[in-house]
Amino acid sequence: MPTAIEICNVHKTFRKKVRALRGVSMRVDHGQIFCLLGPNGAGKSTLVKILMTVIHASRISGTMLGRPIGHKATLRRVGYLPEHHRFPIFMTAEQALHFYGALSGMRRRARRRRIDAMLDLVGMTGWRKHRVGTFSKGMQQRIGIAQALLHDPELLLLDEPTDGVDPIGRREIRDLLVQLRDEGRTILINSHILSELETICDQLAVVVKGRVSLEGTVDELTSGRRRWVVAYEGAGPEWIEEETRKDGRLTQVMLPGADAAEVQPIIDRIRQAGCTITAVSEVRESLEDLFMRALVLAGEDEGSTPGAAKGEDA
Amino acid sequence: MSIWIAILAILRESWLTLRAEKLFKVVLGLNVLVIVAYMSIGFDDTGVSLFFGLTHVESEFVQSGSPLSRTLYLGIYSAFIINLWLAWAASILALISTSSIFPSFLREGAVELVMSRPTRRVTIFFVKYVGGLLFVMIQVGIFTLGAFLAAGWRIDVWDPAIFLAIPLVTLFYSYLFCVDVLVGVITRSTLTALLATLLFWFGTFGIHTADDLLSANLRRMEESVSRAENRLEELASERDVATAEGETSEAADAAHWMTGPQEEIEALNNALGQLRPWQTTIEAIRFVIPETKRTLALLHRSLERNMEVSLTDLMTGAAFQDEDEPPRQPDDDEIVQRKIIERDNEIPAWRIIGKSLIFEAAVLGLALWIFQRRDY
Repeated sequence: MPTAIEICNVHKTFRKKVRALRGVSMRVDHGQIFCLLGPNGAGKSTLVKILMTVIHASRISGTMLGRPIGHKATLRRVGYLPEHHRFPIFMTAEQALHFYGALSGMRRRARRRRIDAMLDLVGMTGWRKHRVGTFSKGMQQRIGIAQALLHDPELLLLDEPTDGVDPIGRREIRDLLVQLRDEGRTILINSHILSELETICDQLAVVVKGRVSLEGTVDELTSGRRRWVVAYEGAGPEWIEEETRKDGRLTQVMLPGADAAEVQPIIDRIRQAGCTITAVSEVRESLEDLFMRALVLAGEDEGSTPGAAKGEDA
Repeated sequence: MSIWIAILAILRESWLTLRAEKLFKVVLGLNVLVIVAYMSIGFDDTGVSLFFGLTHVESEFVQSGSPLSRTLYLGIYSAFIINLWLAWAASILALISTSSIFPSFLREGAVELVMSRPTRRVTIFFVKYVGGLLFVMIQVGIFTLGAFLAAGWRIDVWDPAIFLAIPLVTLFYSYLFCVDVLVGVITRSTLTALLATLLFWFGTFGIHTADDLLSANLRRMEESVSRAENRLEELASERDVATAEGETSEAADAAHWMTGPQEEIEALNNALGQLRPWQTTIEAIRFVIPETKRTLALLHRSLERNMEVSLTDLMTGAAFQDEDEPPRQPDDDEIVQRKIIERDNEIPAWRIIGKSLIFEAAVLGLALWIFQRRDY
């Protein structure tokens, strides 16, 4: 699969003291939704800003859409929604979109056409002549998404895209992201709300204290930790006694196994013991579990504090 | 092509920013008021009328069609309206309005939206800078158009040199605005940028005034020394002649009178010795700072070419003197003033502007360097 972003050994030290990134390497495939996870201050936003040339890396090698990182003309093919973005409050929604579209090199006619479409897409058509300063946080976020999509980018970098958006809006944004992915665009999302990413995430990387602790596709990362829950009625065999959880008459047993075939012999043995199987369901590791596992791998599970590392490597 | 689309977008954003500023409208309103007041000055066969004829001042010199009326009208424009209103009051208001341009652009959340575009930082920086100067260009543009029409209507002078105020006042303002931008880029604080610029401006004004006064006084003192030395030579010559002719009492008188100039020369030389190191220091400082005062004075210099009577003569009263009257003796202040003008007129315009632009380029270069390297 072709890569949208491939970066290797990214370092960023602020004021020779704060080591925000300490050798981050990762690969984002084309046409995927890539989730960048990590605790506060892990360096996620710094990494995204480096990709968008807002921050200079101390050291970096890699490409974005086939061109070296920092290549300005490539940014015409990239849409970006920064965290806590602020639009000029005196501009109307339409004026703001014209401004950002023009900065991306769009001609007036193209801008007009796309602004209509984007305002419609984010449900803000009725607000086009209103000043951005009068908008709620959620409405500003919608305009933010519209400006990121305005120049029809191949790659989207979204930093906390659902920040301040109501539950209905969040769902709309999720559906929109899936639609954009299905159209062949690549989306990199930086978010804290793991439950929102759960259903749409294809690839992920967990950044902890400036390093990638865990990276891969969701399937790759969760396959080794797949579980099966077998629920049955009746007194189970003694050999699984200690592993069961009883809930009234219903008993459940958690069985490890990458695929269904692996657990069939155990189900047979439960049945042979006179029990009735009432349900068998697959349990995948959640993003939250993955996130916590990444923290454990990075040695940051207990007593960790948010923020970038200071000084030299420990 | 896309670079021009981006440049026009940034300029338009600057225009919208300015238009959104209440102060922009206030300054524009005040400018219109000042120019209407200027237009209200008229001349007739008996003197000067003010406020469209509400008040009348009789004068035998300043009347309709007289050279003095032209000097007075253009002089009011260059010496008062430009030098006082545009260069001080309107500039302070403009600085208050434009000081926020860079700090608000560099605010977290706003800067990322612009810096993440294909447009290079250097382009963004310079277009933003020019956008800030737009404030002054637009204001002075409207203002000078009014002044041009007023001069044509009131004194029948259609002098395009009036429009020189647009580049000159903008240049003057740019010397200050570059400092504002530098401090704004470093601190990202509107208030700090504004205060630092005002401090720089007043400091510059202080240095220029001190240098002008010191230089003029030094010139005056040097001339006094020269006069005293001539007088001393004359007395020495009288004494020598008297001694040769054996007129001892006259020789003694001449020798006696020589002590006066000698003491004067000694006192003046002492004072000059004390003041020269100060002048050297002040001149050295002035060498590196922009020529705010002299840049604006270029407008006056240009307008004066078309005046039959100089503004200085008008203001000192020399212009009102009859030819058959004995020549008037200028007082010390007038001598100093004339020497300052004389000295300034000796400096070519390219040197005044060039030196100031070098300062501006250095300050902007530093600001750009920081702007380019900074992480946002």
